[in-house]
Amino acid sequence: MNDSDRPDDLPQLIRRAISRRQFVGQSALAAGGVALGGSLLAACKGKAPAQSTGPLRVSNWPFYISPETVPDFQKDTGITVQYSEDVNDNNEFFAKIDEPLKRGQSIERDVIVLTDWMASRLIRLGYTAPFDDTKFPNKANLVDALVNVSYDPGRKFSVPWLSGMTGIGYNPAKTKREITSFNDIFDPKFKGQVTMLTEMRDTLGLVMLGMGKDPATCTVADAQAAAAKITQARESGQIRAFTGNDYAEDLASGNISIAIAWSGDIQGLHADNPDLRWIAPSEGAMLYSDIMLIPKTSDRQDLAMAWINWCYDPTHSAKIVIEAPYISPVKGTMAEIEKVQPDLAKSPLLNPPADLSARLHMFRTLSDEEDTEFNRIFQAAIGA
Amino acid sequence: MAGTATASERRNPLAPYLLIAPGVLWLLVFFVVPIATLAKTSLAGEGVPWWDGYARAFTDYGGFMLRSFKFSLFATLVAIALGYPLAYVIAFRSGRFKNFLLGLVILPFFTTFLVRTFAWKTILNDAGPVVSLLQWLHFLGPDGRLLNTTWAVIGGLTYNFLPFMILPIYVSLEKIDRRLTEAAQDLYCSPGRAFAKVVLPLSLPGVFAGSLLTFIPASGDFINAELLGSPNQRMIGTVIQNQFLQVHDYPLAAALSFVLMAIITIGVVAYARVLGTEDLA
Repeated sequence: MNDSDRPDDLPQLIRRAISRRQFVGQSALAAGGVALGGSLLAACKGKAPAQSTGPLRVSNWPFYISPETVPDFQKDTGITVQYSEDVNDNNEFFAKIDEPLKRGQSIERDVIVLTDWMASRLIRLGYTAPFDDTKFPNKANLVDALVNVSYDPGRKFSVPWLSGMTGIGYNPAKTKREITSFNDIFDPKFKGQVTMLTEMRDTLGLVMLGMGKDPATCTVADAQAAAAKITQARESGQIRAFTGNDYAEDLASGNISIAIAWSGDIQGLHADNPDLRWIAPSEGAMLYSDIMLIPKTSDRQDLAMAWINWCYDPTHSAKIVIEAPYISPVKGTMAEIEKVQPDLAKSPLLNPPADLSARLHMFRTLSDEEDTEFNRIFQAAIGA
Repeated sequence: MAGTATASERRNPLAPYLLIAPGVLWLLVFFVVPIATLAKTSLAGEGVPWWDGYARAFTDYGGFMLRSFKFSLFATLVAIALGYPLAYVIAFRSGRFKNFLLGLVILPFFTTFLVRTFAWKTILNDAGPVVSLLQWLHFLGPDGRLLNTTWAVIGGLTYNFLPFMILPIYVSLEKIDRRLTEAAQDLYCSPGRAFAKVVLPLSLPGVFAGSLLTFIPASGDFINAELLGSPNQRMIGTVIQNQFLQVHDYPLAAALSFVLMAIITIGVVAYARVLGTEDLA
C-alpha cells in the first residue's frame, strides 16, 4: 500500500503477484491457472459463494474511470467485469430501470452510478440492495463528511464514486477576457456561443446563485424566476444549446465560448485545446456526488461488493482520479497522488481549497411532487 | 381453361387466410397492442380530467407541432427538388451506371442515422470549411453560423430522408413505357411538353409515396433538431422524447403522440385526395 503507483515499480509488481497468488490459493485452482485470463478464473469462481455465474456488470458515466482500473481489478480478484459507460442522464437512466425494478426484474446490472438526488430516490423507492459490510472493510476509508448523508445515514445502501463541481468552462481565446461571474454567461457579446446543461439541478442551481438565491433553500418562486431568465436567454438566441456531456466537443472545437461545465471535463479537453479553463463563479458553484448503488435485483451482489471495496482502496482511487480529475471520497487518495503526480495533487479540481469549498452549494432535496413541478418549470424554460 | 379450373379446385380454401395471417399477427402484436396501450396511457392522468393531456398538447405544444410540420414540409419540398431530377437521370439516362448510381443512393444507409447526423456537426462547424467558404462569399456575416440554426435542421432532415424520396420516384419512372413519350413526340409534343403531359403525371404516385416516406418520419424526428438545432428549433419529436424520458409525464407524451398521428393521418388523406392517387392512399 505504501508502494508507488508506477506500473514499472518493482515492489508494486510484487504486491500484485502476491495478491494474485493469494486469490489462486483461495479458489483452490492449480498454479497454472494464473496464466489463464481473468474470464476463466471468474467462471470457476462462480462455483464458490457467489450467487450467480457471469461477469460483474457496472454502469457508469462516460470518461469517469482510468483505463487501467478494470484490468487491475480483474487481475487482483479474478472477477470479470463488463463495464459500460451507458449513464448519460439521470432521468433518462431512471426511465429505463424504473419499470423492471418496480416489478422486481433484473436490469442486467450489478453496480450503477447515479447522482446523489437520484440515488436518494432509488433508495427511497426500495430499488437498491443493502451493502454487506463484512465484505466492505475499506468502508472505513470513506471521508467522514460523506458518511452521514440525509438520504442514507451510515451509508447502508450507497457510497460515492466521485464528487464534482458544476461551474463555468470557457475558452479565453474566444471570450477575450477572464470570466469570474456566472452572469457573464448572459453577456450579449457571447450571443449564440453559450451552452447550459440539461441537468436541472446544475443549471437551475447556478442561475439561482447568479441571482443571489441559495439552491439549498430555494422555493418554487425562485425556480420560476431562474427559469424566466433562462427562457429569455434562450428566446433571444443567447443560448445555443442545452446539452449533456456533449458540450465538451463544442467547447474544444470553438463552436461555443462559454458553458456550464463539470469540473473534471475541461482537463480531459486540454489535449484538444490547452487554453480551456474551468472556474467556480464568484457567486458560487454546485457540488454533487455520483453514487454507487447495487440494484436489489442483482444476482451478483458479492461481486458488486468486491468491486466497491476494491475501488475504496486509496491506491486504486488515486488512479481513477488521475484520469478523471474529480474529488475522490476515499481517504488517503491525495497522499497517493502526491507520490506520483505532486502537481496534480495541488489542483483545486481534486482537492478544493477552503475558499472554494466555502462557495460550493448543494441543491436541496425535493419531494416527488416538488421534483415534478421543478422539472416541468425547467423543461419549459429550456424549450422541451 | 380446364387446367386452371383443376388448379383452383385443388387450392386450399384456407390459403388466403393463412397467407395474410403472419401480416395480421404482426400488425396486431406490434401495432394494435402498442397503440391501445398508448391510448390507455394518454387518458391516465392522475387527479385531472381524462382529456387533460390532449388539452395541454394543443395549448402548450401546438407551436412545436406547427414548427415540425413547417420544417418537414420544407425538407420534403427540397427533397423533391433534389430527388426528382436525380431519379430521372438514373431511370432514363444512366445507361450501364444505373445500378452503381442506385447503390450510391443507398450507400449512406450502411452507416447509422446517428453517426451520419453527427457528421454534419463537424461539416457545419463554425470553424469548418463550409462556414468559412460562405463567409468568404459574404453569404454569411463574420459572426454567422450554420450549426444550430433552422437551415441546419432542415438540411439534416432533407439529407437523412432524401433516399426515401429518390427510390419511389425512381421506381415509378422506371416502369413508364418509353414508347409513350415517343408517341407524344410523334404527335408534335416538344420534349418539355411530353415530360409535362406524360412522364410527370405517370410518376406522381412515386412523388406521392416519396413525400409520405419523407414527411411522416421527418415530422416525428427527434435527432436532427437536437443535434443540429438550438432550443429555438426544437421539434415535437424531441418534446415527446423529453416528456417520456425526462419529465416522465407519460399521459402528456402519449397524448402528444396521438395528436401528432391524427394530424398526420388527416393531412395524408387530404393530400391523397388532392393528388388523386387512389391506388396508394
